[in-house]
Amino acid sequence: MNPLLAPFQYEFMIQALLVGALVGAVCAILSCFLVLKGWSLMGDAVSHAVLPGIVLAYLIGLPLAVGAFFSGLLCATATGFIKDHSRVKEDTAMGIVFTGLFAFGLVLFTKIETDVHLNHILFGSLLGISTEDMIQTAIVAGITLVVVLLWRKDLLLFCFDPGHARSIGLNTKRLYYILLSLLAATVVASLQAVGIILVIAMLITPGCTAYLLTDRFHHMLGIATGSAVLSCLSGVYISYFLNGSTAGCIVLFQSMLFVLAMIFAPKHGLLVQHFLKAEKSAS
Amino acid sequence: MSRSTDPISHNPTLRLDVHDVSVIYNNGHVALRDATFHLQSGTICALVGVNGSGKSTLFKAIMGFVTPTHGKVRIAGETVQAVQKKNWVAYVPQSEEVDWSFPVSVWDVVLMGRYGYMNFLRIPSAADKQIAAESLKRVGMYDYRQRQIGELSGGQKKRVFLARALAQHGRIILLDEPFTGVDAKTEEAIITLLRELRQEGHIVLVSTHNLGSVPEFCDQVVLINRTVLAYGPTREVFTEKNLSHAFGGVLRHFKIDHTDQPGKAKHEMVMISDDERPLFLDTDEENEKKG
Repeated sequence: MNPLLAPFQYEFMIQALLVGALVGAVCAILSCFLVLKGWSLMGDAVSHAVLPGIVLAYLIGLPLAVGAFFSGLLCATATGFIKDHSRVKEDTAMGIVFTGLFAFGLVLFTKIETDVHLNHILFGSLLGISTEDMIQTAIVAGITLVVVLLWRKDLLLFCFDPGHARSIGLNTKRLYYILLSLLAATVVASLQAVGIILVIAMLITPGCTAYLLTDRFHHMLGIATGSAVLSCLSGVYISYFLNGSTAGCIVLFQSMLFVLAMIFAPKHGLLVQHFLKAEKSAS
Repeated sequence: MSRSTDPISHNPTLRLDVHDVSVIYNNGHVALRDATFHLQSGTICALVGVNGSGKSTLFKAIMGFVTPTHGKVRIAGETVQAVQKKNWVAYVPQSEEVDWSFPVSVWDVVLMGRYGYMNFLRIPSAADKQIAAESLKRVGMYDYRQRQIGELSGGQKKRVFLARALAQHGRIILLDEPFTGVDAKTEEAIITLLRELRQEGHIVLVSTHNLGSVPEFCDQVVLINRTVLAYGPTREVFTEKNLSHAFGGVLRHFKIDHTDQPGKAKHEMVMISDDERPLFLDTDEENEKKG
């Protein structure tokens, strides 16, 4: 047997590749909106804030995803409340809320016996994912994909020019909560598979890479998805040979694609910018 | 939904009534107090005041982004919320408000003006595309429709957002500082277009610092400083006394005495300027001229 094909003889590897690609695609599509809206930090915050929700959901016997979802939403609404009712700015308010919620989750975790491993939530367990988790991830990811693609034009307008959106009677408050819920759902869908740390990377990097490579939104969606899926597949595959952290390999591959895009992008890349400058100063 | 290309003719009684509007923000800041003015169909009105005088608050109240703490805004007798659904109020933002590196083309932006007429998936119909194309042609930007919006000059950027307002078939068009960063030729083109819109019965409300060009194309003026100080026909309202009142000591004032000139017994002019184009007022003849 060809040693390069060795990973594919294990079912857990195939599963990891599939789930990784699906999660990567959903995160990538959402990351395009987050990057354009300037919400990258929001992904970070929501990802951390889901922790107490997970523990509490376990305690009451709800699906962990439900607890995580509402905990994530709570983070965003609490941030909004603090911003509106004090002189604290939004990014600061977000920092206070999500670290507080995360800490609350940590304390709960140490006090309550759960069958969830903290390590799995932080760093994921793509290779050890259960069928049940896989189905849950696929369902949430599927719903998120459909909603974001159906609403993409309104969401894009909301990111680009909320003033115009409002003036033509679009409900921008609803769009805000749709985008927020999509974000929370994506975090939930990805959490079991890839962990909080990786979700943050997957919610930011693919959109950024694509943003450097194109000036058209629909291309951006495609490039981001492509780069994320490629990173997930390559990351999982490489991690088999390195026998290293799967999540780490995925993020590293993604970061590498970003660096390449930053240097070689056809219009916004460093090289092209450098030559353009040289040309200008020469003429 | 009506896809009429001439929404004005069906409603000849377009009016904008701002009645006793006060806006107090959450932090207690009184942005506007008891502001009242009325505009009728077929007018270009300048909204003139210093920074922080409440110009943008007034715009927000007319667009329904802030709810007046007191008083009301009515458009053709209806509430702002009712009017939003009809796409009647179109807004042309200041250049600084727009993210020019956003991955959208000129064509995408103008089609956004049609979103209110499209179905939930925002798939443009043939009519939407035709209206968008006509709007772009009207501002002379059709050939640039494939460009990303950041690849345009200052004047071109302005014209694209004007085209969006046209595509929206807005009946009340709000322009925020339309002449900043715009060359003289584009300024002329924009003014010509605004005059056409007035001819068609629109209400055009222009917030501007550019005092010099106000008498040239605005038939009405609203002077504001936390409240409406004066409003009415330009000739009556746009006077040295009122402007001094509106701007306090901010403006630069020069009195130019032409008394020495042969053939003139006593002739005095006043030049008023903030940092943009100065305004010349001929105090003897009450005849305003562009500088």
